[in-house]
Parts: sequence; structure tokens; C-alpha cells
Amino acid sequence: MVTNTKEVKALDFDISRSTEEERKLSFKDEFCIGCGICEKVCPVEAIELGDIGAIVRNEADVPKICIDEDKCVLCGMCSVGCPVDALDFTVDGESIKDMDVYPHYVSSAEIDDETCIYCKACETACPREAITIARDLPDRAKLVTGEIEIDKETCIDCGICEEMCPADAITLEHKIPTSADPTVSSDINVDKDKCVYCLICRKVCPVDAIKAVCRTCSYGEYDLDPAAAEIEGSSFIDDDLCVRCGWCQEICPVDAAKVKKPFKGELTIDQDKCTSCGACVDICPCDVLSFPQPEEPGQIVDKVFKDEKYCIYCGACGNVCPVEAITVKRTDVDYTPTKSKSWKNKMESLKT
Amino acid sequence: MMELKVNQDNCLGCGVCVVACPVNVSISPEVAGGHGPKTEEVVMMVENGVIKLFTDANCTKCGTCQLFCPVDAIWLE
Repeated sequence: MVTNTKEVKALDFDISRSTEEERKLSFKDEFCIGCGICEKVCPVEAIELGDIGAIVRNEADVPKICIDEDKCVLCGMCSVGCPVDALDFTVDGESIKDMDVYPHYVSSAEIDDETCIYCKACETACPREAITIARDLPDRAKLVTGEIEIDKETCIDCGICEEMCPADAITLEHKIPTSADPTVSSDINVDKDKCVYCLICRKVCPVDAIKAVCRTCSYGEYDLDPAAAEIEGSSFIDDDLCVRCGWCQEICPVDAAKVKKPFKGELTIDQDKCTSCGACVDICPCDVLSFPQPEEPGQIVDKVFKDEKYCIYCGACGNVCPVEAITVKRTDVDYTPTKSKSWKNKMESLKT
Repeated sequence: MMELKVNQDNCLGCGVCVVACPVNVSISPEVAGGHGPKTEEVVMMVENGVIKLFTDANCTKCGTCQLFCPVDAIWLE
């Protein structure tokens, strides 16, 4: 007899069929955004969306979805419908997302390393922490040119230059004076890799013991190599975590990030119904929703603020709203063509 | 499905869950002002100084009460 087995690992689980052709559905809870699309597309009602509000907000040890392995027919529809990589369906080890016969969302997020200036704005803004920017900064010493010298005979070891140096380039070897050696410092040195020839030390030295000149100021930048100022780096987007929300694209100052979203739609909030409980704000995977701050006391602001630029129309907010104040409408779903009518119908059914 | 649970031994009777619950507010708007709800259709109420579930069938499991309860007297599991 052919049966399905379920293997549970903490909040994750795998469901597989006991046949020679290995059909396997894997759920990874950490990637699940609680949108409930899987529950809607499942043809046999095997999937039940958990109480996402309570689970996410109180960090409950409960998986966000539950799949009844006795009802599941291992068709893979939930995996195709999942807008993130929380559900993966494989047949003999090959992911349904790599098979051309099945439809897939047309969506992507890319950062062009040629254009990227490695400012890290996207890394900071990404609501899913999916972006890593690695950058190599140039040597400070190669960006400045000058000369500095401390006359150790004149120096009285007061340490004022050390305290004021903005580049931490000056170091005194502080010590307690003894009768044999009645000085407060045994040595003073300038680290020329750190010094930027700002001349602060020369100006503050009470005994004029420091001779320093900035050659850029007096002579120009002729002996500097512009190539030495170039910043190198690389960008990485974790596809498992990325939800194609578009924050990186919006915040990038040089248009290096490009995001293609799978859905188009409309997000409506009924401000009269809203009770400001914050469930939607906590659940939204894209930081679309927030509580607005009044600019002056007494000013009446909206209960919940939305910026639809970042919305992926996943519907998670609408599901958790306890008072039905949020409506998420999907007007367009972009997916690759398929010959199967039933799959096409399912993809079309995502439009609401 | 998760279930709304209360522990009356832990409850301080502060009523924060009653006023925070978005469902309560929409059923009985006066709870937002801190006055006791006027109908038993609300999810929970403080009665004789402790929390008591009334119409927990109305609970949408948003988790707001648990988030605000200072003493683990109300939770979903």
C-alpha cells in the first residue's frame, strides 16, 4: 500500500510518498511569512494556516502551517504558490521550481556589482536581512600626503596631541616618573599609516615641538594615485530569505538594485475599523506598515500607515487582522507559461 | 488550532488584556476607555478581580492579549 510519511524536525517537516518515484515536500518554518497562499491553493485542503498573529508575536514554538500527510497528494502546488522558499517540492531530488513544465513566479532581486558603490543602505533597509555587502576600504595613508615630525627633545610629554589627534595616530609611552628618570613618558611616536596631516597636533602643541605639513594643501594632489581611493566589494542576496519587497531598489542611491515582484495589487486599510493592535505591523514581511507619529501634540494621524511601494501583496496582514480592517487585492500574477489547464487555473485563482 | 487559555491564579485583574483585545474594542467600544464591557459577547472580562473568558469563540488568535499581559495569565497554545 502506498502511504505518505511525515518526518518532523523541530518546526520543520518533510512529507514523502512511499513509492519508487520519490516525491517529497519540505517545509522550512524560518522562511515562512504566514501569507496563507499555500492553504488557498491546496486542492485537497490538507494545509491549515496556524494562528500566525499569536505565533509570530509571542514567538510560540508552533509551526506556522500544518499539513495533514494523510490528505496531502504531493502535487507540489503549495510549493509553486509559496512566494518565498518555505515550501520546496522535489521529484527524485529535482525541485519543481527547476522544472519547465510547471509554472513559476516571474520574480527576482539583483544587485549589479558594476554599479554598486557598497554604501550598505540596502543591507540596513532589507526587512528580511537577506542582503550582505562586503567591502574593502582603501588604505588611508594612500589618500593623503604630507610630512610630520616630533622633536622629542623639545616635547614635554603633555599628551595633548595624543588626546586631540582625530586619527589616533600619536602614541605616548606614559609612565610614572622616578628620581632616576623624572619624565612622564618614555617615548612619543606618530603612526604614519594613520596620520591624515590635519595639523591639529601642530596647532595645539604648547611648545611647538611638532613640525607637520599637508602636501595636498600646499602642492595639490599630484603625488596621489586616484586608483588608490577606489572601494572594492561584493554584494550577496540570500534567495531563501528575499521576499522581493523592493526596499533595496528604493533605497539604493545609484540604482544598482533591481527587483521584480510576482504580484500586482492593492492594499486597503479601513482606518475606522482599525484598533491599532499592531498585529499587521508585526507580521508584514516587507515593513510596509508602521504606526505614524504625530508631528505636534493633538494632531490626528492615521492609525496605521502604509507605503505600498514595498508591498508584495502576500496577504499576511489581512489574515492576521482581528477586525477585518485590511483588504489585500491581487490584480495580477506574473508566472511562466504552462500547458496544464489546472495549474493555470490555480495560478489565476491567486487573483482576488 | 491554538486555544486561548487563562490562569486565574496568575491574574492580577489589571484588565490590560480586556482593553488591548482588538476584538473586544470592535464588539464593545467602551472597553477602549477602560470601562467594563457591557456585553458578554466580548472575548474576556475581569470578573470579581480575575480574568474570565466569556465568548472565546470570537477570538481571532492575534496574540495581542498575551503580548500585553504582565504575568502570563492569558496566552495561546
